[in-house]
Amino acid sequence: MKAFLLNLDRRVIFVFVALGIVIPSLAPVRMPIPITKDVQAIYDTIEDVGAKNGTVLISFDYGPSAKPEVQPMALSVLRHCFRNQIKVIGMSHIPTSVGLAQRAFETAAKEYGAQYGEDYTFLGFKPGGGSLVINMGSDFHGAFQKDLRGSDTAELSVTKNIRGLADFAYVICLASGNTPDGLWIPYGQERYKFKFGLGCTAVMAPDQYPYLQSGQMNGMMGGLAGAAEYETLINASGKATAGMGAQSFVHLIIICFIVLGNVMFFLYGRQKGGAQ
Amino acid sequence: MNRDHLVFFLFLLVFAAVNIYLFASGSLPANMTGLGTFIAAGITLSLYSFLYKDNPLFKFAENLYVGVAAAYTLNQVWYTVLLPDVITPISELDGESMNNLWLLVPTMLGFFMLTQLSAAKYSWLSRIAFAFVVGLGSGLAIPRTIAANLLAQMQPTMQAITPDFAGVNLFIILVGVVAVLVYFFYSVEHTGAVGVASKIGIYFLMISFGASFGYTIMARLSLLIGRVGFLLEEWLVLQLPLF
Repeated sequence: MKAFLLNLDRRVIFVFVALGIVIPSLAPVRMPIPITKDVQAIYDTIEDVGAKNGTVLISFDYGPSAKPEVQPMALSVLRHCFRNQIKVIGMSHIPTSVGLAQRAFETAAKEYGAQYGEDYTFLGFKPGGGSLVINMGSDFHGAFQKDLRGSDTAELSVTKNIRGLADFAYVICLASGNTPDGLWIPYGQERYKFKFGLGCTAVMAPDQYPYLQSGQMNGMMGGLAGAAEYETLINASGKATAGMGAQSFVHLIIICFIVLGNVMFFLYGRQKGGAQ
Repeated sequence: MNRDHLVFFLFLLVFAAVNIYLFASGSLPANMTGLGTFIAAGITLSLYSFLYKDNPLFKFAENLYVGVAAAYTLNQVWYTVLLPDVITPISELDGESMNNLWLLVPTMLGFFMLTQLSAAKYSWLSRIAFAFVVGLGSGLAIPRTIAANLLAQMQPTMQAITPDFAGVNLFIILVGVVAVLVYFFYSVEHTGAVGVASKIGIYFLMISFGASFGYTIMARLSLLIGRVGFLLEEWLVLQLPLF
């Protein structure tokens, strides 16, 4: 037993992790989801935007590899906006996010009866990064002359009154890369001083906290937990809330393995013939 | 036939049997949606098969992903950028509407970039395009980065420390910033007071790495939960209580 534990095959851990996800998925395990102030801030801002008839810009900057974490955020934010009759404009810095963004718009718009062109539009992907953000700040219709369906942004009801980024009541970036701290904050928020919120993968979250501290962004949803919090806030449990039981269960398994590994290391690891 | 070959063929056999049952029972519709789910499930399982051992199925799925992603990106760039913003306006140039004539300049610079791939005789042209990109990129990035990532970050660190919970947080941030800066200051020997500050800096860095690692585990598990949810709910069509 001692030898087995000291030289534990990593595939044994994989099996435990797999069971830790499959079992809570088959049996209902609902975990309490407390709301953090950073997620609450995004919710409150959107409520405020709804009261003032503002327009929200959502930048879909994530690919299929981040879909399980960020797509629930996109759906929740869109549902919240459409429920409050907020106009939404979508765009993307990443080409692989176009299909995911379109699907999120179609799903949420169908649920709340939001009309394309009147309540929302999706501008699609545009390269340029920082220069695109600067261009959007000074001449929105010049940066995006047409949306993804080929409609003229200067004539479309939802976009015709937008001159630059400062006209948006709120800008939300849903990201799996460096677009928030690499593009939106330095080239957009710092220059045009709009309210900025972020939904990102858990890997990114620790690097984004300094921007919360500095006030450059007013709220943040980090990873599946952040998405589940937002689903709880809008009373629309979805895939993020469903995944929290499995995630908590697997976290416990990993903590157990970390404790076991350390105990075995301190007991036998330093001896001759210890852990390999 | 060794054990790995046996596992490989057994996996293929089970996957084929499950799909035959799913299609035959009507759980998966015999249309493009069903085919898409079948392919997605196969590729997901192929990629996770790497956890057992590197194998041809994993290699196939990995290369397929790279190819599909490249083709999808090319499609998006062609139909949403090159065609409407470059090719169509330039092809509409005539004697009367010359408003878009300036588009020829960035288009030429773009072509110059491609000369990097050609013979040495023409590759020098690419330097013009690269010089433009480097000059423009630096001009845009340097002031913006200093403003957003340096000055704006220094401001909250320098606020007055108040005798409340927020003040304690500010004090911890201040100590952390100073200690980590001291740790990376190599012009003085790390002994005495500098050594203590440097040591504190290491602790702050370790805590930061631990937090990042914890978040990374959470992120990777979220992706796994998403794929397992897909396999159970959409491929195997199980009525899950939560998903």
